Amino acid sequence: MKLTIDNFEQESKSGKPKNKNWIKVGLSTCGIAAGADVVFETIQKAVKENKLDVSVFRTGCAGKCYAEPLVEVKAEGVARVVYGGVDKDTAEKIVQKHVMAKQLIDDHIYSIIKEEDNGEA
Amino acid sequence: MGKLKKIILVKDTANNKETVRFAELFNSALRDRALDEQAQVVRAADINIYNQGVVVRIMPSDITYVNVNEKDIDMIIRKSIKNNDIVKEILAKPEDKQIRIVLRNCGNVDPENIEDYLAADGYLGLKKVLELDDRDKVIEEIKKSGLRGRGGGGFPTWMKWNFAKEQDNETKFIICNADEGDPGAYMDRSVLEGDPHTVVEGMIIAGFAIGAKKGYFYIRAEYPLAILRVNLALSQAREKGLLGQNILGTDFSFELEIRLGAGAFVCGEETALIASIEGKRGCPVPRPPYPSVIGLWGKPTVINNVETLSSVAPIICKGGDWLAKIGTEKSKGTKVFALTGKIANSSLIEVPMGITFREIVYDIGGGVPDNKNIKAVQTGGPSGGVIPEKFFDTPIDYENLQNLGSIMGSGGMIVMDEDDCMVDIAKFYLKFCVDESCGKCAPCRIGGKQMLDLLTEISEGKGTQEHIEKLKTISHTMQKASLCGLGQTAPNPVMSTLKYFENEYIDHIEHKKCTAGKCESLYEYKVIEEKCRRCGLCKRNCPVDAIVGDKDEGYKIIQEKCIKCGKCYEVCKFEAISRGNN
Repeated sequence: MKLTIDNFEQESKSGKPKNKNWIKVGLSTCGIAAGADVVFETIQKAVKENKLDVSVFRTGCAGKCYAEPLVEVKAEGVARVVYGGVDKDTAEKIVQKHVMAKQLIDDHIYSIIKEEDNGEA
Repeated sequence: MGKLKKIILVKDTANNKETVRFAELFNSALRDRALDEQAQVVRAADINIYNQGVVVRIMPSDITYVNVNEKDIDMIIRKSIKNNDIVKEILAKPEDKQIRIVLRNCGNVDPENIEDYLAADGYLGLKKVLELDDRDKVIEEIKKSGLRGRGGGGFPTWMKWNFAKEQDNETKFIICNADEGDPGAYMDRSVLEGDPHTVVEGMIIAGFAIGAKKGYFYIRAEYPLAILRVNLALSQAREKGLLGQNILGTDFSFELEIRLGAGAFVCGEETALIASIEGKRGCPVPRPPYPSVIGLWGKPTVINNVETLSSVAPIICKGGDWLAKIGTEKSKGTKVFALTGKIANSSLIEVPMGITFREIVYDIGGGVPDNKNIKAVQTGGPSGGVIPEKFFDTPIDYENLQNLGSIMGSGGMIVMDEDDCMVDIAKFYLKFCVDESCGKCAPCRIGGKQMLDLLTEISEGKGTQEHIEKLKTISHTMQKASLCGLGQTAPNPVMSTLKYFENEYIDHIEHKKCTAGKCESLYEYKVIEEKCRRCGLCKRNCPVDAIVGDKDEGYKIIQEKCIKCGKCYEVCKFEAISRGNN
């Protein structure tokens, strides 16, 4: 549907509402060079295999070049975390340990994002 | 709330040696108090604080402790885990020195999905502009914001727009300059790849303000992903009625197309860029007339950089005064820097104008790795210069950088340490400009080559004091007489390294020494007796018989005969050949 000045307020944000559980993978040239495409595929596969209600999507570069590939995770019941230096192995852990077992993963946390509804449903 | 476990994030920010031990200490302390169900201890990879000993952060309460000792653990657990209290003595208030305006959506939205951008208040600025339907007011808002061109020159954006607006012409153009070419700069690529709609929105607004119906993205062909995502953004915007005929149902129509740059650095210069889009050879022409008056196909044309255009929508949404509150008196808003080189955290940062180099290097970048001494920061790419450590407390803005002999440039910021040779750096940037010179004007074409030859001789130990004088004379000529910015600024890296590090030039000329150990011709090769196993491999391989001795007496290199080819250094299996200055 085409947007107009009149319907903008209503329609511009009518896109599909985001799942409250999501995993974002930084997939710009910098991330891909560091292996983010493999990470992206691994996470997509693991989410599918475990039949999880988690949307996996791509974003651009978050600026922490030294920590690529970067993966941000928001899952119910656990803090919202940015993981860096993620490889295939860590990507699997993110799904199994972080999302499913609600346990944070050592040595890969680059920040924990404070939010009002910290993971609460 | 309340259901969530507390998190104890641990990181030794000095050298990372204590991270594991402290995490264990916290874990056993939790177990001892039977609190391990209430909190999880986790080792952080980075906690955004540097050189403050062991740092502990409690989440979600977001309490940060620095320089934590073993004896503090008990207190931290009692106060901040069992209760929601703080231990005042070691409490830190970490502040985020970055302000993200241009990069506000990078890393947050899906760049291939317009819905994501719309959900983040995307195209709200465009809607506001079309609702207002007043070009002057748009330009007025940009004027209030104090926004200046982020591609390097720092020309006030509103003035460019206003010149073009004032032109009485049916056809006008807006061009987004995404021909990012400075070595070490990649902010434009990141923005186009991470948030293309921001730039598209900025261009449509600019088009409206100057009265253009058409705009071009000039993107270098080496950025295939950026091109793909911009193309996708354009078609999504068209589908939504945000681009094309009758945008948002108004009578404003505007179209955008992509043109690819074939990788010539000079095509980042306005007039050469225009020539390139017109299908001509990418050569600059003298200005004035400026493109805002006579530009693409002879029509008034505004050329803005990616970062400049990305600032437009937020300014329209939040007002010019909002941006003007950030920054220094003459440089408003934020600047994106690509922080690279000898720095712990290479990163793409967006900081308010007026921040100091020290804050960037140490608080954001985490300092120089391996305990090396920092020497300088290079800004502005091949048109810029080096800024030595003694000026690190200077607030960064357009004027201050210029006074220091550098420029803001597109935002490359390369950190250099004791292992970087300033003659070598000058040579690197000059060579870049010599390679990229279009050859049209003599000062740039001939001057650049001559300077490079002089620098090469200095780096080979064949320089004299006269070389420095000649460098200065040619620099002056190139700065005054070159046709475009490329030639005018090409000597800057030479001039600024000469200004601040003349001693290094003298070392090369008089003492035939390169203290940083970069200039290969000045290496001195020596046999380290203690390591030498007297195998004779070096002697057999020396092409000029500069190595004497035998298996009984050991080997020696005769410096007068040595041609510094490095063969002995390469073949020695016992690392018994040293190269360097001593």
